[in-house]
Amino acid sequence: MGMGMGTTTRTGTGMTTDLLTLVHWLSPAYPVGAFSYSHGLERSVEQGVVRDAATFDAWLRDILELGAGRADAVLLACAYRAGDADELAETDALARALSPSRERAMETTLQGEAFARTTAAIWGGDAVALTYPVAVGAAAAAQDLPLGAVLEIFVHAFAANLTSAAIRLVPLGQTEAHTVLAGVAPLCRQIAREAETAGLDDLGSCVFLADIASMQHETMYSRLFRS
Amino acid sequence: MPLADFCCCRSNLGYADGQEREEAAITRPDVLKAETALKQPRARGAVSVVGRRRGDATVVGDLRQQGSLKLLFPRSDADAMTAVLLNTAGGVTGGDRFETRIEAEAGGHLVATTQAAERAYRAQAGETGRLRTRIEVAPGARVDWLPQETIVYDGAALDRHLRVNMAADAVLLLVEPVIFGRAAMGETVTDLRLRDRIDVRRDGLPVFADRTRLTGNARDLMRRGAVGAGAGAMASLVYAAPDAARFVAPAREIVQHRGGVSLVRDGVLFARVLAKDGFALRRTLLPLIASMSVTPLPRTWIL
Repeated sequence: MGMGMGTTTRTGTGMTTDLLTLVHWLSPAYPVGAFSYSHGLERSVEQGVVRDAATFDAWLRDILELGAGRADAVLLACAYRAGDADELAETDALARALSPSRERAMETTLQGEAFARTTAAIWGGDAVALTYPVAVGAAAAAQDLPLGAVLEIFVHAFAANLTSAAIRLVPLGQTEAHTVLAGVAPLCRQIAREAETAGLDDLGSCVFLADIASMQHETMYSRLFRS
Repeated sequence: MPLADFCCCRSNLGYADGQEREEAAITRPDVLKAETALKQPRARGAVSVVGRRRGDATVVGDLRQQGSLKLLFPRSDADAMTAVLLNTAGGVTGGDRFETRIEAEAGGHLVATTQAAERAYRAQAGETGRLRTRIEVAPGARVDWLPQETIVYDGAALDRHLRVNMAADAVLLLVEPVIFGRAAMGETVTDLRLRDRIDVRRDGLPVFADRTRLTGNARDLMRRGAVGAGAGAMASLVYAAPDAARFVAPAREIVQHRGGVSLVRDGVLFARVLAKDGFALRRTLLPLIASMSVTPLPRTWIL
């Protein structure tokens, strides 16, 4: 599956434990509440922008390639490489400031807080309230997990969470939805690879309508999701 | 902060506006034409203005102008001071450098706009036009940064960074409208390098940031469903003030389905608007800006 792309290949039980820790942190079972955020997809479905597997595929690729998929991967990588607490705090402050809507700010801060709380309780360390990608990057660095693998699984987990949301919202059949997710795996890997060496100056996004959808979600009459 | 020492080679060539610059390559002597083809003349410009409170009014406290950026101060009855930015180079192209610094001292109110829409022309390979804008808003002061649209042409390479430092009780209204080619002229932008950054710090803490990057075929990108769905113009608006919350509902009423409005955090309102072209964008932006203004809109903004 190409885990640990671009990093030293490690074998034996050490890598297995690392991988399982990562999969654990980024699985839907980890109590960060990922299932309750749609990243504005709920509004895009209501508008008819996303209405079937093909339109979900296009929307998901936009988000990954031109939106938060890439941006969060870069923020995670910068947090992972942060030399000291100040640099980490600076990355986190930028991550918060980049939220284009109240609900997107909530999406990244509440998941990050929950991640940090649970991870600190089990693996030790301080439960510092950080935004989600920054919290994952900092924890991965503390556990010395390979950044390449962290990024691949993080971006893929984000895509998987949005796929679960699409199954409920559009709605999509399990098979057609997971066909979309399988199809974006190479894109997830490409984004992870590029983010591995990227800095804060490489941040950039242009998913204007997705930003707008997340803003409009705030005033939707009935909602299943918190974003 | 002292401004860098700029040369002004463009103004030495005597270009008055973009059209003259475009024609220059055709009408000037061969020797100059060859030189122009080899390397585009680079424009440099820097302006800095301080708005100082005097009685109820805000007056020019300090003013510096260099190269092809100028500031005009139209006479006004309002207490606020209006500064109109003028780019005598007639546009931005690869290699150009422009720096603008706007400061409102304690209790002052400065409204800044541009005399015309800014044009980002085709850049030569490897060259990027850079615009840097700094805004300082002291305690009890207000700055309205309301430039007219920036029109990006096919082949443009533009890198902008707008940085604001404001006091906790200061007021900031900023808008940045971008038009992707002039649709009415049948222009499409299939080759673009655009980086547009906005950073707002309040009492030193980042409270808002935007990182827009559109690289490649802008027309195709803007057609994508999560990007623009075919829109030809986009604007970002930030209103940062202790009373930002009360402007959210009226702004949503104005914007409707054409964009989004959110109180991204306490005291910071952010809006994004999309439109099919610059005219349609302005029809939404005018009432939106007016809803958060305490002075009449600059005359350059009238439809």
